[in-house]
Amino acid sequence: MSAAMMATRRGWDLRPARFTIVLQHAYIWVWLLLFVLPFVTTIVRSLESADGGHSLVSYRAVYGSFKGYLILSLEMTIATIVINLLIGIPAAYAIVRHAIPGKRIILSSLNLALYTPGAVMGISLAITYAFLFHIPHSYTGLIAAYVVGTYPLMLVPIIVALRDLSTTYEEAARTLGANRLQSFFRIELPLLGPGISAGILLTFVIVFNEFLVTLFIAGPGTTTAALRVYGLTRTGFLPTTAAVAATMQLVSFLVVLFFFKAFGSRYLKGTYLI
Amino acid sequence: MANPSITLNAGEMIAAPEQSARRRWRTALMGPGLVMPALVVTILFSIVPIIYLAVVSFTEESTFFFNRPIYTLQNYQQVWNRYLPHVTNTIRLAVLSSAFDLVFGYPFAYILIRRVRYRELVRTLMTFPLFGPLYLAYGISYIVLPNGPLAPVLDFLHIRATSLLFSDPMTIFGMAMFTFPFMVMNVGTALANVDPTLEEAARTLGARPWQVFTRILFPLSASGILAGFLMCFGWNLGVFVVPLLLGGIPQQRVLSLTLYQKGLTQFDYGLASAMGIVLMVLAFGVTWLSLKFSRGALGA
Repeated sequence: MSAAMMATRRGWDLRPARFTIVLQHAYIWVWLLLFVLPFVTTIVRSLESADGGHSLVSYRAVYGSFKGYLILSLEMTIATIVINLLIGIPAAYAIVRHAIPGKRIILSSLNLALYTPGAVMGISLAITYAFLFHIPHSYTGLIAAYVVGTYPLMLVPIIVALRDLSTTYEEAARTLGANRLQSFFRIELPLLGPGISAGILLTFVIVFNEFLVTLFIAGPGTTTAALRVYGLTRTGFLPTTAAVAATMQLVSFLVVLFFFKAFGSRYLKGTYLI
Repeated sequence: MANPSITLNAGEMIAAPEQSARRRWRTALMGPGLVMPALVVTILFSIVPIIYLAVVSFTEESTFFFNRPIYTLQNYQQVWNRYLPHVTNTIRLAVLSSAFDLVFGYPFAYILIRRVRYRELVRTLMTFPLFGPLYLAYGISYIVLPNGPLAPVLDFLHIRATSLLFSDPMTIFGMAMFTFPFMVMNVGTALANVDPTLEEAARTLGARPWQVFTRILFPLSASGILAGFLMCFGWNLGVFVVPLLLGGIPQQRVLSLTLYQKGLTQFDYGLASAMGIVLMVLAFGVTWLSLKFSRGALGA
């Protein structure tokens, strides 16, 4: 009897705690499962063939007709990233290192598009492009919309990285005779690498998967891959649709994975991607 | 909408050596010059369109684009008289899904911060919802389809898949899944700053777990809870594709969907713009509040 009491007494301290910990980990894993489940089922569906077996046939069917949309999407994404870098890096540099009159107002207005709901941005750009700028359904319009919606996300990681970067490097370079441009391209830009890469990753993930604003402003010739997926999902659950959706997620996930392996998630803290 | 994390710090400027007046001018103009391209893009493609939208919202149907626009308040009257249920439904769905996020996201964030060592894995898998509500809603709707993977389980439980699929709970779940990472991010940041020894002290002094929560954890993480809730709420206000794929007709009465139908299929630009302005005012109000409370949800 005393042995049993000992066991229960010892267990009184240990067992509930261990049980709780197992439960807590189980809770995390349930959610992890929920995160990947839609993706996994999409893949499973895409592998089903008409005769009830499994095959990659829907992927082959997709890359005939879907390839064009995918290439257009990648081109748009790369163009957006390049423009984001060209206007984002100087802006971040000026915001951290220079005195600008009305800096707070400027920062707020730069972030404006980030907080505008997609449908509002879509309708406002749709009417502006059609009746004010006269560039409806154009590549220019699409890329401009992506740029204005994503470069605040490019700005934030670069600003964070610039903050962390002591000005002594630049001062040393300048003292040793480098001019402003030389010191920027040779010294500061390489040191900003991870911050800039984080900006590129965010831009990629968002622009590549953006369909809502695109739905409002794209035309027949400017349908991106994500918009095509949106159109296809309205028609049902064909394996080819699933294959297309799975491909989009897979591409995005591989890019994220590559980034996490290369740079870790430090510079993404507090931005769109955790 | 100021981003509070990016504070203004004069000390970050490089101390300029002795300079001539011309060089000093060049240095002074350099900052504004470097921001200019970004500012021009924002003005052209964000500020001008929103002003344009606001103007169009006061004109009748699409008369703004003819020779003589008819200015009127009727669009806003129509939003108030006929589409008020759409506004309240948008807010209702956003509140419920954000509440779902809070209830399930708070324990998630707590366990993640206190117990979990495989945080990188969690962080990596948590990016899937962030690829967008489209794939998420598509995947979920396939799972609960009448002949989908979950069908045997639902049959066993005597639940009709169609009643589950196009319903309120399903729509709210879909919206909540998309914004779940935002809640975890905000609450997690707040909880990471709570010293674990405070909890231990409370427990040693005899506090029950719920007392530890109400007396220690909740007050110390309140700012994160508020910021997370408002951030999720802001995203959920703009919901578009989730009700379309997971909701029935009642769930599809949300502002984003309605303004798309009015504007791009019926060409009633005036009404669509008015709805857009209403939605934008709601979203900006929420964002303003969340930035006020979060002290740097961005870039902290």
